Amino acid sequence: MRRRRVDPAAGARAGALPEAIAALSRSLPSGPRPEIFRRAKFDRPEATSALWQLLFRVLSPLPAGNALASIALEVQARLVKSALCSQGYPRLALAQLPEDGSQGSRELLLALSWLLARGPVPEQMLAQTRVPLGDEMTVCQCEALASLVPPAPHMEAEGPVDVRHVQWLMGKLRFRWRQLVSSQQEQCALLSKIHLYTRGCHSDQNLGHLSVTEAEMLRDPEGGQKLLRTLERESRRLEAVLAWRRAEPVFWQWMDTVLGTCAPEAPAAASQPTFLPWVPECGDGELELVVRELQTLEEELREAVERRRVAWEAKARGCGRGPEWSAARRASRETVEKELGALQRCWEQESGPAPAHGPHRLVRREDGAAGDRDLRAAELIRTLRSQEACLEAVLRQLQGQCRQELARLAGALPGLIWILPPGR
Amino acid sequence: MLPADCSRRLVAELQGALDACAQRQLQLEQSLRVCRRLLQAWEPPGTWTWEPPPEPETNEEDPLPACTPSPQDLKELEFLTQALEKAVRVRRGITKAGERNKAPSLKSRSIVTSPGTTASTPPQSPGQAGGHASDTRPTKGLRQTTVPAKGRPERQLPSVRDRTRAGIGARAPRPGAGLRNQHMAPSAAPQAPEAFTLKEKGHLLRLPAAFRKAASQNSSLWVQLSSMQTSDSMDAAAAKTQFLQNIQTASGGSQPRLSAAEVEAEARRLRKACSLLRLRVREELSAAPMDWMQEYRCLLTLEGLQAMVGQCLQRLQELRAAVAERPPLPCPVGRPPRASPSCGGRAEPTWSPQLLVYSSTQELQTLAALKLRVAVLDQQIHLEKVLLEEEMGVQQRSAALRRTG
Repeated sequence: MRRRRVDPAAGARAGALPEAIAALSRSLPSGPRPEIFRRAKFDRPEATSALWQLLFRVLSPLPAGNALASIALEVQARLVKSALCSQGYPRLALAQLPEDGSQGSRELLLALSWLLARGPVPEQMLAQTRVPLGDEMTVCQCEALASLVPPAPHMEAEGPVDVRHVQWLMGKLRFRWRQLVSSQQEQCALLSKIHLYTRGCHSDQNLGHLSVTEAEMLRDPEGGQKLLRTLERESRRLEAVLAWRRAEPVFWQWMDTVLGTCAPEAPAAASQPTFLPWVPECGDGELELVVRELQTLEEELREAVERRRVAWEAKARGCGRGPEWSAARRASRETVEKELGALQRCWEQESGPAPAHGPHRLVRREDGAAGDRDLRAAELIRTLRSQEACLEAVLRQLQGQCRQELARLAGALPGLIWILPPGR
Repeated sequence: MLPADCSRRLVAELQGALDACAQRQLQLEQSLRVCRRLLQAWEPPGTWTWEPPPEPETNEEDPLPACTPSPQDLKELEFLTQALEKAVRVRRGITKAGERNKAPSLKSRSIVTSPGTTASTPPQSPGQAGGHASDTRPTKGLRQTTVPAKGRPERQLPSVRDRTRAGIGARAPRPGAGLRNQHMAPSAAPQAPEAFTLKEKGHLLRLPAAFRKAASQNSSLWVQLSSMQTSDSMDAAAAKTQFLQNIQTASGGSQPRLSAAEVEAEARRLRKACSLLRLRVREELSAAPMDWMQEYRCLLTLEGLQAMVGQCLQRLQELRAAVAERPPLPCPVGRPPRASPSCGGRAEPTWSPQLLVYSSTQELQTLAALKLRVAVLDQQIHLEKVLLEEEMGVQQRSAALRRTG
């Protein structure tokens, strides 16, 4: 590509920057017109609302839809501010912008660029709205049943009302769980049948059979038309993203100039935006728990080590060996160091070659043969089983801790009446 | 047990869980509907297409040199359709009237939708099949021509017409190509007008050409994107880092504040460390050393573990201090996804989906069930933690009360 090597003069080269901006604008969903960007550099007010909306679109965790479009600009602006703040956006000027869209386009442009610099935003947005042509299953648990909470066992509530309500909720949840399980099993069975019946149909030999989407397209040709159009739109966006990536360096040079036109800010005291619609749920309760555990462990270890050290010293004094003795000791030390190092790496690093994030296309093959980059169901099952065992252990331990705490509470708050659910 | 406000949080969590369940159930049911419908007989019969097993490599989208069919071809086509018309008329006399009613409705659907072949060839003229195939091969070509403008009403050249209108170009028919519309009553196929079921004839389906083209273009673009991702241009990467630094320094230059997400991630790491350490300690404590060498090693291990625990605690205290001094930035709820502890590293997502191969229904069901199970366990653990936190909160509060009271 002729623009890959960007020299300082390139920015001045006509066409490079506008092309980059145009590509960026095409690659973002409902991206603003390219001139909005230019106007924003000069902090023109008319560029403001478009940028608020774009930022909202980028930062919103919800998938795009009509609902999003109908949110008022002020609300969008506030949500954008709090989202940026929570991501650690450093510029304070943004938090102070008026929310009516009357000014601040340059700040917004900076915020957008900050987001673009931190992550592959256009790709991520595209991936969110990707057209899945196959029947997909996610491998990691990231999207599985967000905020789904099954019943906690041995729950005792203070008053009868609480207990019954909670128990009722738990029962309801268990029922829904069972429903989910059976529905899912049925879906798997049907899916498998469809794959079986359409084997040999697909033009791509690798896939071999049709997916539900593809079969549905054949059954309902109008829907198929829609699918085709969506697919083509997506391809256009993809091309735009690729163009953007190639033209990027010019954009960043330009952004540096934009930043240069802003006055530097003074470091401020820790300030929070006043409106926090997205409830911050993470307290430092998590930290507290871990501290407790580690402290317990430390205590335990201290005693054990002391005891053993003493015993060992006594023994070692008894048998004073020669050089082989010290060599043996050194060897042991090294081994232990290596083992412990490996142990530490277990939590330091994120677990090695993680199975690919994100969805995989289900393919049925009688022999189960899979290429290098493909996953096999059997292996995944093994991994999941071990995960299951691990989690069960953690759960048991937590439940034990819960019970301990409850016991402590019972002792500490004698005024409470324990109402035990029947049969536990 | 727990004061009312604790159970409130619990109730809130449970309610959230119920909602999420309901949502997932809806999704599943929708998908089930689609699947069930696919496995039943497809309605209305005839708007689908099927083809007999393909002959190897006859006419995949070869672009014909001529863009427009020659008059000769068109003439042949005319003859053909006339013959078919006749067959239809004859057939219609025999088959039920229901077919007829459907014909206009199909016609009025000007977007033709069924992909696939067009005119069926009567079985008694196999020789024509070859020629026919060549005529109808260039779907593009035909699309460009207006319907052979003799003003033949559509119903007589529905195939051509429909294909000219079709967004999805019909796949080039093979010799002996299969059926098309139902008002071109399937004289060629003895089975029709039997309903189409996936079970019996699913293996005869073929994807339309336009779709295949679009899909392959799409997937190659995704692949390009992935490869571009991994070999990010040095210029761009450096420029981005520089820009981020510039923004940071221009805004007061202090250390970026920890976001709650980062705190949580660190806490999670340390928690994992804790459980691994505990596991190891148990192992060592329960092991019975056989000789002095083993005993020595055991001792060293325990001492090493002790040191590690100390380090972790120190890091935790530091974290807590940092958090207390400058409260972490709140995290927006619904940030996708709530990374579960069992999900490994945040690997770079590969943009083009890879395959997951399974070999039997049983396997697929097991896989899905296990996934669900792990998700449940994750959430159960979450709830236990909530419970614990609340309990500890109660303790702290009551302790505080006792101090003041």
